[in-house]
Amino acid sequence: MPSPMIEIDKVCKSFGEFQVLRDLTFTVAPGEKLALIGPSGSGKTTILRILMTLETINAGHIKVDGDHLWHKPANGNLVPADEAHLHLMRAKIGMVFQLFNLFPHMTVLRNVMLAPMLTKRTGRKDAQSRAMDLLDMVGMADKATSMPAQLSGCQKQRVAIARALALSPKIMLFDEVTSALDPELVEEVLNVMRKLAAETDMTMLLVTHEMGFAHDFADRVLFFDGGKIVEEGKPDEIFRHPKQERTQAFLRKIIAAGHRV
Amino acid sequence: MGQWTGYIGLILDGALVTIQLTLMGSILALAMAFVAGLARLSRFVAARVLATAYIEFFRGTSIFVQLFWAYFVLPFFGIALSPLQAGILALGLNVGAYGAEVVRGAVQSVGREQYEACIALNLNRWQSMYRVILPQALLVMLPTFGNNAIELLKATAVVSLISLSDMTFQAQVVRAQTGNTLVPFATILILYFAMASAISYGVRGLERRMARGLDGVRT
Repeated sequence: MPSPMIEIDKVCKSFGEFQVLRDLTFTVAPGEKLALIGPSGSGKTTILRILMTLETINAGHIKVDGDHLWHKPANGNLVPADEAHLHLMRAKIGMVFQLFNLFPHMTVLRNVMLAPMLTKRTGRKDAQSRAMDLLDMVGMADKATSMPAQLSGCQKQRVAIARALALSPKIMLFDEVTSALDPELVEEVLNVMRKLAAETDMTMLLVTHEMGFAHDFADRVLFFDGGKIVEEGKPDEIFRHPKQERTQAFLRKIIAAGHRV
Repeated sequence: MGQWTGYIGLILDGALVTIQLTLMGSILALAMAFVAGLARLSRFVAARVLATAYIEFFRGTSIFVQLFWAYFVLPFFGIALSPLQAGILALGLNVGAYGAEVVRGAVQSVGREQYEACIALNLNRWQSMYRVILPQALLVMLPTFGNNAIELLKATAVVSLISLSDMTFQAQVVRAQTGNTLVPFATILILYFAMASAISYGVRGLERRMARGLDGVRT
């Protein structure tokens, strides 16, 4: 077995009194597509935010691609990571947000070109041709000169995916990327993600309420509740034959709410 | 009627001084607004304390007193300024203090999600601020900056008190020489209004240009 792409070891996280993650431990293999499901407040989004270094951790260790994320070794000890170390680690990870977070004052093309030009010193020409390739891949090449405000939610989300890919991350984090979209347009975004999974060997973590998509897309599913992994397994095991009572209850609720599984 | 052309010429000379004060004062105010406004948001305590002290001091004392300090008191510390320099300094520092709060508020009004996108794209602090946050914040600042510039224009009249021959000073000269109050003061009333309108018009134009393509994002 190859060494894991992500190792999460006894990680704790609290917001004030509220403990979101309790001694969380799991690993993700290189190229694995992992779906995180569970009720709101179960901590699944927090994991993605911690991996993107948007939240700190209170205890435990995380390794990404063999290196510590929130710590760095110094004289044989681990010390808290500084900005330079985080900068190195962030280069391995890309994130797509629920509400897209595009830069509203730039065209679609500039949104995708910006980060490679600033963080990788990519020349304007190279950045532009790569951005156009990516926009083409997500089906948004014809909107390259549009401003984000002129796009639909689903178009914005495809641009956001292209923007995150522009830095060629090893890991992509998808945080409820279809939750803010019109139901009939969700497929367009999901298709982009299927294509991405088929054409690249990126490691992908996906927080979603689209159980049908998680079922088809993921290699493995983690069911979270109360900041802990309650059950994990292949999509078929989790969705067709959940063992834990809490998993069964959650899936019943989701089906009752009209989501397909 | 012939005598008036000479007097109007005097007032127009004063108008030039007023425009000069407004322009140079605005440039200094703008610089101070950004320096102090961003310093208030700094990670460093010293920068925050310094900026807060500057802002509170210049907002909390009269521009009249500040001008007298700049012109009459600074020479005791070995800094002798011309009336014009003292005027620009006092006006720029005073209005800059108000502008700093505008900069701070506008930067803070840009949503957290924009900062998070910057982190996810691995931009450093400076790149995030310069490329992403400030361009959006600028649009929020502009209308209030326009107001501040007009306030500064009107405040330039205080410099007549340190014998700088701005528009108001010249109007008083004309009044003293002719005994007529209506004509000189009606003239400068119109001139002040015209200058203020020019500022509003310019700022509105700038706003429209910068807001292009941002429909529905900022109004």
